Amino acid sequence: MFGWTGNILRVNLSAKTFKKESYNEDFALKWVGGRGFAAKILYDELKPGIDPLGPENKFVVALGPIAGIPAPNTGKAVVAAKSPLTGFYGDGNLGTRMSEQLRKAGYDCLIVEGKAARPTLLYIEDDKVEFLSAEEVWGQGTYATNAWIYGKYGKGVGVLNIGQGGENLNLYAMVRSLEGRAGGRPGIGAVMGSKLLKAIVAKGSTPIPQADPPAMKTLGLGDLRAVGELNKKTGWSIQSTTGVLAWCNEVAGLPVRNFRKTSHPEAWKIDGERVNDARIATYGCPNCTMRCGVTIHDHEGRESELDYENVGLLGSNLEIFDLPQVGSLNYLCDEYGLDTMSAGCVLSFYADAIERGATTGDFKFGDAERAKELLRMAAHREGKLGNLLADGTRRMARAFGHNSEAYAMQVKGLEVAAYNCKFIPGQALAFGVAAIGAHHREAWIITFELKHTTRESYGPEKAAKVIELQRIRGGMFEFIVACRFPWIELGWPIENYPKYFNTVTGLNWTLDDMWQRADRIYSLIKLNYLREFPGASRGDDYPPAVWFDPENADKEGPIAGRVLERDKYDGLLQHYYDQRGYDRRGIPTKETLKKLDLAQEAAEAERYGALT
Amino acid sequence: MKIKIKMIGPLIYEAGFSEKEVDVPAETTADDLLDILHVSRQRPKIITRNGKAVAPNERFDEGDRIAVSPLYSGG
Repeated sequence: MFGWTGNILRVNLSAKTFKKESYNEDFALKWVGGRGFAAKILYDELKPGIDPLGPENKFVVALGPIAGIPAPNTGKAVVAAKSPLTGFYGDGNLGTRMSEQLRKAGYDCLIVEGKAARPTLLYIEDDKVEFLSAEEVWGQGTYATNAWIYGKYGKGVGVLNIGQGGENLNLYAMVRSLEGRAGGRPGIGAVMGSKLLKAIVAKGSTPIPQADPPAMKTLGLGDLRAVGELNKKTGWSIQSTTGVLAWCNEVAGLPVRNFRKTSHPEAWKIDGERVNDARIATYGCPNCTMRCGVTIHDHEGRESELDYENVGLLGSNLEIFDLPQVGSLNYLCDEYGLDTMSAGCVLSFYADAIERGATTGDFKFGDAERAKELLRMAAHREGKLGNLLADGTRRMARAFGHNSEAYAMQVKGLEVAAYNCKFIPGQALAFGVAAIGAHHREAWIITFELKHTTRESYGPEKAAKVIELQRIRGGMFEFIVACRFPWIELGWPIENYPKYFNTVTGLNWTLDDMWQRADRIYSLIKLNYLREFPGASRGDDYPPAVWFDPENADKEGPIAGRVLERDKYDGLLQHYYDQRGYDRRGIPTKETLKKLDLAQEAAEAERYGALT
Repeated sequence: MKIKIKMIGPLIYEAGFSEKEVDVPAETTADDLLDILHVSRQRPKIITRNGKAVAPNERFDEGDRIAVSPLYSGG
């Protein structure tokens, strides 16, 4: 078996024990790695109904067969657990040297169980595992923690760590790495915090097993150069993802004022051009030649790394059009280890709820200084308000009442990314049926909707496009574990990825082989959902109700008077279910599960909820 | 006729401006505009007219706002 180390490291923080476990080729071929490994392990090992913040939850770091191999853009890892935000399987990916170092230490996957007695740094070096004190940095942010780790071990080690958000069990706390990378939106950082696990450091010395190392070296390094040249030619990294903001503003897709509006005349003040003008540096992940992390200085002179999602949700969505102030809010989220997207939605929802009389408070759209205080309170769970803000929009809406859930911008508990789908039906579907809640990572079809079909369409072509993208973005890239950016943003051919995979593993897989695994993983996550929520229904796959509300329609602009139509969205959802082989609740049918070789998992799911 | 052009992302640096009003011949199409702006027709892109996507041969009208953007994929 090449490409896989064949080993999982299982660590128990309660007992301070560890074990190197082997897995066989069948497991590797069926689940591949990354999201596939994490979803399967958590499905098999977690009993439904457990407390996500209790010691019985497990924190998983999963890598794929091309993770850490020099090739475009393989410096990523998947982090996963039962999500405290959504109540079922949750994950995310982030750029980290862990992708190479944990693999060189001999493992494709790390499972962390139990709960430490004291704040802990888990140190892994080849066969050695140490449970070290992290009390010195407990209570400190991710920048200080990262610096402390680099001071002890040097910059070449793989690092995962959390800030105050994770420590205090903020439900949208993330895992951080490389002073700018973050992953695990649905509170995976809070799961680390619940285990008093402040950081993980890995260092390895054994080469990753490959079928043909010289061929992979030639291929990988050559393609890294080619991606870098393509990036230069297209100029993508000049603004990186922040270029999207001006486009969303043109086509009425920008989140403004808790998604109430879709564009704003002052949006130019925080767009990609302004970000580029203010640029201090550009950062990337390991094995990356198209860097996406543009940093700017905030008013306090702190370096803040921006992308579109955080400018959209901490900027326009809060009606804050002062770029350094947006930089400050982003910096604080990164320092505390909070998801910028959920944090932006939490603050905008709070301002909206106050304005509509659902609650009382002193926060208004545009108030950057108060927003900073609220982020601090949310990260530290300061007082009643801090605790409320730390729980995410769904729980906040339940506490506020007054039908505020209609404008809590989330699906399945996870806040939506920075695309206003008031009248973008296909993207609304993409949020509705994303595997872990409203994540943009898995399918983004707005340009397809506008360019290759009509915005008004709720037809099967949009459902088909969502599935196609889920297979690629939420499937293949998440289980071979590589960044999707060269493909999606530069048009780097998708066929290159099976080529990397085959050169490393010695196999001969096609893209269809990849899609089969992707469909299997998506179905397994749906079974996980059913097990946790036996009353699962198609309503769970609907986007926020405010997008269907005619009173929320734009008064002017390209979508004036238009909102999503409920009956038509339901039809689009049914197209998705039909094409996926899911039943009317959005759960895979027994026939689909059998085709995907999930009979055993289906039998387990049936102990909790019926299959059709 | 006068139309307003908004360039987006890296196309700003390719065209040498971000936003301006330009005088173009009547019945200028999206493809004609790319030639005027010296942006390759082959470059993957999306052009919108007053917020709605246009076909390459669609003609513009006086006062239109035209945005020319790379084909972003949402990060």
